[in-house]
Amino acid sequence: MPEPITTLSTLVIEKLSGGITAIGINVPGHSQNVMNQDFMEELEQVLTFLQQNPPRGLLVESLRDDSFLAGADIGQIDTVWSLPSARVKELCDNGRSLLDMFAASPWPSVAVIDGVCVGGGLELALACDLRVATENPKTILGMPEVKLGLLPGWGGTVRLPRLIGTGPAIELIASGDVITGSQAKTLGLVDACVPVHSARESACAFIEQTIATEDYCKRRAELQLPQVLDKPESDFLLATTGAVIVSRTKGNYPAPMVAFDTIMQSATKSMKEAAALESKAFADLSQTSVAKQLVRVYRLGERNRRDCGLGESAQLTSNESVHVNEVQKPSIVGAGIMGAGITARHVRSGFITKLVDIDARTLEQSIPAILEEAAWDRYHQKTNQERVNELTGRLMSSTQLSSIADTEIVIESVIERTDLKRQVLADIEATVSPSTIICTNTSTNPIATLADVFSDPTRFCGMHFFNPVRQMSLVEVICGPDTSDSTVASVVLHAKRLKKVPVVVQDSPGFLVNRVLTPYLHESVELLREGVDPSRIDKVSRRFGMPLGPLELYDMVGLDTAFYAGLVMANAIGDRIEASPVIPALVKAGWLGRKTGTGFYSYKSTGHDAKIESINEKLGDLIDPYRLAEQQMTDEQICDRLFLPMLLEALLVLDEGIVRDGCDVDLAVIHALGFPAFRGGVLAWGDSLGAAEVVHRLDQFSYLGPRMTPPARLLAHAESGRPFALVEERGNLLPKTT
Amino acid sequence: MTRLSRSPETTPVVVSCCRTAIGRSDAHHGVFRKVRGDELAALVVSEAVARGRVPPECIEDVLVGVTQQRAELGGNVARTIAMLAGVPFSAAACTTNRLCGSSLQGMSQACHSIMAGAEDVHVVAGVEHMQHLPMNSEIDFHPQAFSKSSRAVLSMGLTAEYLASSRGISRKAQEEYALESHRRATQAADTGFFKSEIVECQGLNANGVLTFIDRDQSIRSDANLAAMKQLKPVFLPKIGSITAATSAPMSDGAAAMVVMSEATARRHQIIPMVRVLSTAVIGVSPALMGMGPVYATRKLLHRSGIHLRDIGLFEINEAFAAQAMACVEELKLDHDRVNVCGGSLAIGHPLGASGARISTTLIHAMRDRQVHLGLATMCIGLGQGIAVVFELIE
Repeated sequence: MPEPITTLSTLVIEKLSGGITAIGINVPGHSQNVMNQDFMEELEQVLTFLQQNPPRGLLVESLRDDSFLAGADIGQIDTVWSLPSARVKELCDNGRSLLDMFAASPWPSVAVIDGVCVGGGLELALACDLRVATENPKTILGMPEVKLGLLPGWGGTVRLPRLIGTGPAIELIASGDVITGSQAKTLGLVDACVPVHSARESACAFIEQTIATEDYCKRRAELQLPQVLDKPESDFLLATTGAVIVSRTKGNYPAPMVAFDTIMQSATKSMKEAAALESKAFADLSQTSVAKQLVRVYRLGERNRRDCGLGESAQLTSNESVHVNEVQKPSIVGAGIMGAGITARHVRSGFITKLVDIDARTLEQSIPAILEEAAWDRYHQKTNQERVNELTGRLMSSTQLSSIADTEIVIESVIERTDLKRQVLADIEATVSPSTIICTNTSTNPIATLADVFSDPTRFCGMHFFNPVRQMSLVEVICGPDTSDSTVASVVLHAKRLKKVPVVVQDSPGFLVNRVLTPYLHESVELLREGVDPSRIDKVSRRFGMPLGPLELYDMVGLDTAFYAGLVMANAIGDRIEASPVIPALVKAGWLGRKTGTGFYSYKSTGHDAKIESINEKLGDLIDPYRLAEQQMTDEQICDRLFLPMLLEALLVLDEGIVRDGCDVDLAVIHALGFPAFRGGVLAWGDSLGAAEVVHRLDQFSYLGPRMTPPARLLAHAESGRPFALVEERGNLLPKTT
Repeated sequence: MTRLSRSPETTPVVVSCCRTAIGRSDAHHGVFRKVRGDELAALVVSEAVARGRVPPECIEDVLVGVTQQRAELGGNVARTIAMLAGVPFSAAACTTNRLCGSSLQGMSQACHSIMAGAEDVHVVAGVEHMQHLPMNSEIDFHPQAFSKSSRAVLSMGLTAEYLASSRGISRKAQEEYALESHRRATQAADTGFFKSEIVECQGLNANGVLTFIDRDQSIRSDANLAAMKQLKPVFLPKIGSITAATSAPMSDGAAAMVVMSEATARRHQIIPMVRVLSTAVIGVSPALMGMGPVYATRKLLHRSGIHLRDIGLFEINEAFAAQAMACVEELKLDHDRVNVCGGSLAIGHPLGASGARISTTLIHAMRDRQVHLGLATMCIGLGQGIAVVFELIE
């Protein structure tokens, strides 16, 4: 192979035979190739070099596995908020002009897309004349900018509609979805989708063909043309796709609709006018708090992905004191709803999984459901029956605990009875090897009350999944009194291999999520007692951005479950928040929520998927004995009543050192409760108000007593003006080898 | 095709037409839930041949319209339907697909063949079993086909929502239209008008008891505005105007007719029912698919020289109330002359069968009311229209 003629830090130029030049992308210091400052500068240098040494054709490829080119460096995106709109526009224009220069080069170019090609990476690929994607399952293409509250800013909204049509381009950009190489081929986004090993050869063949036919000149001219839809089709697009975007974003996320409007306007204009519209739209969005919060949430996720779960003092791999164990043989004990959900997640993630339940009937009933869930095809919204057959071999079930003797991690998931859990955990320890990690999936049992059955409690911790496991991505990893760093780090790693978001928390009642949820749920019932209409309470919460209102959530969780959880919480917060008498009254009446068809609402049927028919007509009578003085409240006040107690609880959680920092709280409420990402999490929401404003708003509720009293931490923040939850990188990163 | 005088040898006539009752596509309550689609079609094919007193050996081609050509209706099912119906092997068979216009397409094709002096005696039929073979399942549309429109045009309901909103057709007006469709259909069923066109067919009632079905299952004699008002929009949750009451129901059913030249009919001493004077098909914007009948009708009128005012009865297939209303409005038709026996909103819309179904109903209504000219027209998914005009033979 010829020697590279010039070496830069992010790009490698290589001369191939036949006058073809290849540019290889390799951006150091990032898990993906990203378009950072260095990359953009070097791309410009390379263009200059090529102009002096014009090739017959140009190949753009990645020198790394599974990463063609992701978009702009998120760290750099996170600096635009402080810039004035005009400067942001300029940044867009600069990046786009570079890609435009690239596109206008006299030689034909082809992008070889193997691995992740999103955002700016796809915009670069679009600036090439041809695109060859690979069949590599890691090859994905898309423009996910709207998920960060933005839109493509380097020509994506200009080139994509001209390449694949206005409607399809809007669908891709406004949804932010990514697609595979083969889907991209069908959509016309790439010109071929080939096996990885033949990608370069195919690209060269394409180049030769397009040089020979001069087809690329014709294509370039065609792609300059505006896309004109006939009137009915463009009206129809607005009436349908536009309506879908509005109903999905509920007015909380502006970017998809801005993307829609921008493309509808710009598709019919010249490239130059379209570019100006794009820059303006990007700059406008960059000034929104939604974009800022979404980028922050993205960074929280990235930080979590790299985090090993341990405090700064722990030593990883460099020293043998912490050994991170990448387990291969997991087992789940208990085949109830949670056990089945956890098992399905394991099978879906590729683990050969053992499931034990002493009751053969329970096993028999749960296995089909586990396989169907594991083989769920999200795209087609149905179970893939072929996949069920393939996955069957990954699931082994037994009624004998002895069958898991060789397992490396056990997740105990039997019902929430402390005595039973203690017995099962002791039996598990007696069965498995001394190195096996043992976890309990519990929402109410303190880890300490279970840990003392172990002869080696260092290998034991909590691993709290949320129901339904398939939807809720959070996992609380709960340290018991003796849990070792190795155990924590191994369980965190295991949760990530299940594609979950693990947050490490210290043992305490309700752990993290249920702890901050309780005051919010409690407040909703207090509002009821003060005469606020139940549907109004839920509506205010939904408008805030929650997926369900608090009373709907009670009904979904089940009032009996909520009642028992409330008993546990009373230990932790009973001095500030008294358990409400309304919940036991509902339980006594047999109104347990969706499962019985009646709770705060009446349902059309019973069961998890039951739909609301109306407010439970007899609810008023039930509440009557517990009425409080009626209060007239605005929606804003109701909203504050619901969410300020959650914020205060989160601050107390920080005081008690239950989590390592506030970012974990925000990540947890987003991934476990569906707290609106556009608000950045409960602490970020507090920060958007400012601590002083929070104190001020609490003042009007001082008549409610201790639960609305500003804690010391809040007052300190109000004094200093420091935010609650800054995103700070963590020192302890996941070792690369695992 | 023009309305110029034509010799009897090349003038197509319909000599018989009939249909099954139309069942609801419902796995628990549909009357034809245990009856195969090909059996429904074979029944009406043999009945149409018998009613027309057509000597089976002179049948030359069997054209069956089906939109979902797979499973029990797969593999050129027209041929197996002909074999099931006892049509001699000497007759050819072809399955046609112009989506909702499939059997009206078969009808047109048969006429064109006769006019051209090619195959003469045809059985034209249509069938759909939307419970056994749901619409659009197992179809993989090419996304690039929608680069000049949008994938949303695949939803007929959304195209109808678009017509409703762009033409200001209110939900209430749609419901009143649907109510009238049920009222007319109920009247036609109750007075026995449909008796002459419906072939009794074995099916099951709601309790699973074997029943001979002779009444369209979706017609609601108790339809009322108060109940319609309760329904939720189907295609655009919350903001839409179209509900289950103002969309044609999913249906199972079949219809068939025998078409031949007037000369052949005379030769066999068969008394024909109507002449087919002219046909037309046209393409329109996919988003405007619901307006296909307007453009197809205009094209047909222009081509044949017939005046709209001379046409006494219209059958405009009711895919959606809003869509049918938009066509009536655009063509400035008198609603009293349109779908006089109720339309597909009430009777049902078994896609491939509907062209033959509305023609059958139209021809019977023309005879009943002694109307000289009648026109059947349909909208077709992804933007087409089809129209056929019939002349009563007195």
